[in-house]
Amino acid sequence: MNQKRQQIPIPKKNVLFLFIFSALLGVMIISQAYFIVAIIDSIFLKGVSFSTVLPMLGLLLLIMAGRVLFQYVNRRIGVQMAADVKQAFRRSLFHTAARSSFHSSFTSQSGKKVSTVTDVVDETDSYYSQYIPQIIQTSLIPFLLLLVVFTQHVHSGLILLITAPFIPIFMVIVGLQTKKKSEEQLDQLSAFSGSFLDALQGLTTLKLYGQTERQKKKMETSSLRFRDATMEILKIAFTNSFMLEVITMLGIGIVALELAIELVIYESLSFFTAFFILILVPEFYTSLKELGTAFHNGRSSLGAVKKIEEERTEEVSMWGKETLSIMDRPPLIETENISFTYGEKRFSLEHMNIHIPPYQQVAIVGRSGSGKSTLLHLLAGLIVPTEGQVKVEGRRLLDYEENEWFRHLSYISQHPYIFSGTIAENIVIGTDREVTKKDIEEAAERSGFAEVVRDLPKGYETAVGEGGRGLSGGEMQRLALARAFLKRPSVIMFDEPTNGLDVKTEQILKKSMNELRKSATVITVAHRLHTVQEADKILFLDHGRLIAAGIHEELLNRVEGYREMVLIERGGANG
Amino acid sequence: MKNLFHTMKVMKREKKDIVISIMAGFVAGVTAVGLFGASGYLISKSALAPPLYALIVVTSLVKLLGFIRAGSRYAERYFSHRATFTVLSHLRVSFFEKLEPLAPTIFQSYKSGDLLARIVGDIESLQHYFLRVFYPPIVAMMVFLATMLFTSFYSIYVAAILVIGLFLTTCLVPAYYTIKQQKKAPEVRRKRGVLSTEVTEFLYGFRDLKIYHKLGEKETRLGVASNEYVQEQKSASLNLISGQSLHTFVSLFITWLVLSIGAYLVSTNQLDGIWLAMLVLISLTVFEEVGAMATFPMYLQESQDAAGRLSAFMKTEDREGRQKNETDSMPPLSEPLSIEMDHVTFQFPDSSRPVIQEMTLSISSGQKIAIVGPSGSGKSTLLQLILNIYDATEGEVRLNDLSVKNWKKERIWKNTKVVLQDNHFFHGTVKDNLQLAADRVRDDEMVSALEKVSLHSFSLEQPVYEKGANLSGGEKQRLAIARAMLKPGRLWLLDEPVSSVDAWTTKQVYHQLFEEASQDTLLLVSHRLAGLEMMDKIIVMDKGRIIEAGAYDELLDRKGYFYEMVQIEKNLF
Repeated sequence: MNQKRQQIPIPKKNVLFLFIFSALLGVMIISQAYFIVAIIDSIFLKGVSFSTVLPMLGLLLLIMAGRVLFQYVNRRIGVQMAADVKQAFRRSLFHTAARSSFHSSFTSQSGKKVSTVTDVVDETDSYYSQYIPQIIQTSLIPFLLLLVVFTQHVHSGLILLITAPFIPIFMVIVGLQTKKKSEEQLDQLSAFSGSFLDALQGLTTLKLYGQTERQKKKMETSSLRFRDATMEILKIAFTNSFMLEVITMLGIGIVALELAIELVIYESLSFFTAFFILILVPEFYTSLKELGTAFHNGRSSLGAVKKIEEERTEEVSMWGKETLSIMDRPPLIETENISFTYGEKRFSLEHMNIHIPPYQQVAIVGRSGSGKSTLLHLLAGLIVPTEGQVKVEGRRLLDYEENEWFRHLSYISQHPYIFSGTIAENIVIGTDREVTKKDIEEAAERSGFAEVVRDLPKGYETAVGEGGRGLSGGEMQRLALARAFLKRPSVIMFDEPTNGLDVKTEQILKKSMNELRKSATVITVAHRLHTVQEADKILFLDHGRLIAAGIHEELLNRVEGYREMVLIERGGANG
Repeated sequence: MKNLFHTMKVMKREKKDIVISIMAGFVAGVTAVGLFGASGYLISKSALAPPLYALIVVTSLVKLLGFIRAGSRYAERYFSHRATFTVLSHLRVSFFEKLEPLAPTIFQSYKSGDLLARIVGDIESLQHYFLRVFYPPIVAMMVFLATMLFTSFYSIYVAAILVIGLFLTTCLVPAYYTIKQQKKAPEVRRKRGVLSTEVTEFLYGFRDLKIYHKLGEKETRLGVASNEYVQEQKSASLNLISGQSLHTFVSLFITWLVLSIGAYLVSTNQLDGIWLAMLVLISLTVFEEVGAMATFPMYLQESQDAAGRLSAFMKTEDREGRQKNETDSMPPLSEPLSIEMDHVTFQFPDSSRPVIQEMTLSISSGQKIAIVGPSGSGKSTLLQLILNIYDATEGEVRLNDLSVKNWKKERIWKNTKVVLQDNHFFHGTVKDNLQLAADRVRDDEMVSALEKVSLHSFSLEQPVYEKGANLSGGEKQRLAIARAMLKPGRLWLLDEPVSSVDAWTTKQVYHQLFEEASQDTLLLVSHRLAGLEMMDKIIVMDKGRIIEAGAYDELLDRKGYFYEMVQIEKNLF
């Protein structure tokens, strides 16, 4: 089991660059202030001529360009980092997913997984493109500014030092308050968030029942209630920034007053220094405030990172390296006391011992929820038993190389998956061999799929699947059979369709299976009487347990549950 | 911009809040400029050793401005957000109103919930329109104009430079990057679509991919799709940040110009040196105040896209036209409806084969008819033609000898008890969902309806999640039948109403159903044949045509298609 979690670290090289460019940016901010002050000082107080300040003006323009440039480079590094990390996240998600085993519940969560791969990964973007550059920038620049202010004028530096901590402290306090408040309002919020979608999805029902007016009113009130709940939370945030502005204002005000007093009364300060500090002080507070905003943004992205980590730690199945020697007969399949549990007692299969010699026709029978499909998945190696072993040719199934086993296996599910591509491509997917067009046509002919193809203007080149032509249930079954005819497997696992298909497809299904089974072991989750009647062995399951095994007549006589299900409820409950 | 017209119209209803937020924004901006201007003046003045009282006046002014600014910023945020959320609520209602006449047709063409989720998302993203697109430029303009007016007292040149700056930072630069962004956005979306399709295929086809040993190949393709998407996103982000950088540079450059011109004017004695620091600080601040304009292209793009999609969606589906909602004034029909179809053909606009072909059929008032056949044979479409959800491509559907075209849709629906294949249940209780059936339904009626569909264990107060997610397929179907039972009407249209219900319960439910409908016309679509013995007539359809029709026993005797179907079903368990 290789379950090592590879942490995706914050790229160190990028961080180093960010530090360097942030420091340069800080230097630029300070120099910009310096030169603005120097120019005004020269012109206003020293009364020098315009041409004397020209070099300084030129330098200032360069510094401004430098400031923009370094800021740009910083952001660019952030964007690059975000792109790299997103790609790495996705790669590792795909990697994990491609190696994970198949859960019977897999498809039910597909929507969530698609959103993990697309949206949730995208949510991490701002963490790397904004948060990290911002945090580096704002952890560096205020200190630089403070340092400069201290060198210029200790009193002002002290004022900054005293007022500054109020900003982060305040942000933390208000942040906690907001969190508490939003938790209180959470019910209100979550109740609303889906209700608009709910109303839209139910529009047909609402219309057929003539209830749209009522729903509209309901929506309006809940929408306004949602607004009020949101405003409650926002108000805290706004008060927060109000207080921050006040702190900043007070800070700047105190500094300004103190500068003015020293300038006028004690005359202990030059205009140059005072003005220089006055320009630096707002920059100082602004970057502190940005730090708080960055923290806020970063927290929401962190949630996304956590979600991705959860996905990536899903269990991974591991196949061995053994080859399954080429045989002229199907392999022997056995299970040794296999059990499978899924979730908290939500589903389980208990201690099954099954022996399937070559060419045997096995029917798995049971009510819905009895574990038929799970057993089939276990035998196919799509899921791994929690206890016991599936053995093929006397060796652990998982000791073989994955493809060694799947090469011999065809799995025809109730809803075969049609990939986007042409019909020909969809048939060829069944095999690793090089196949000719003739092989494809022959397989289609034998599976009865050829007559479907004949009706299509583009024939085998017709696009199907996502964005292509849809296929009906019967047509999909026939396509799956065509795949099997092309592959010529020695083991066929077949989840028989539960609903009655059309008469034609039923006939084809029966005929095709009769032909395929000549050269293969067939294990069927059976829903048809003739399948169980013709089976060499029936496995009758109930509540995850193997109740009985034997042929049809034997079970009819011996097992009451079987008799009830097959004969009494026949033509009734499906699935 | 045309697409955003509707949003603007809705916004107009919140005029008061909008005006307040604009005014507050203006005050906040102007006071910030004033604040820094004043401190620049203060510091210059101090250098000239003025009387102390002058300093105190200016300092107090600075303080006062500071508090006004903080206060008006608060007001701006409060009112603008309140307006936004109110507008959002109006938008939801107004889109709901616009969508309403389009249902249920749109739900046929877009089966997936994705589309609806996107509509919801698009409406949500319109909230940025007011907050980040509509009013920031107005506030920016106003602050600028006021600043210009103020500076023009000191130097007309400086004011002129600020005009140029205003034009560059609020018009030219955002416009340029908006256009560039507009070119990038569709490509980003397209790549995202490709990735999401690939991922969906990967997940749904997982079992088959694994068995066919194509997972590795697919993984590579996913990596490529993701990389293309990421690169496209990156190039869009780079476009945005270069826009922001250019914006900053222009602002700084304008300040530099102000400083240069100011310095020149002072050195040539055209301007009193005491104002120089003030003018430079004003210029620095005013551009900071319009900093929001840097993100303008992004949000404009987003709002336009959202509005564009919404209005395109509304337009393509708007062929229905709006019908007056007169349902309340129409009493239910007292007699069960009769149905006739006269050489009806129906074909979806984008398909090559008609779903219904040349169908002629007559169902007299009070008859019980079953329609059977393989999937894709056109059974459900037939019901939708009767409900006038679709118009027949050729031929005519008549209810009570009157063409459905001459019926108000609402009138047909009001008189029909429909159970669709996909019945929607709303977040709430069982009672909430049953109460949809009619305006006044008594509790005991609801309880008895639940009993009739063998949902004895259900209580009225039992919670139902969105889409009935906490109910099993069979429970949902039976709850839908109960709801239909409570609804007035004399025509039953049932589309596979019990396909997920077990045989024994089906028998019970059918029994109750036929008792309820004994005097009504009833059309039942089913692929299951057991229990159809009591129907007056069974119509067997295949590929959009009627291939057999008759009573159950008659059809069995004929040993045709229906007989074969019965044989197959007997074989199933």
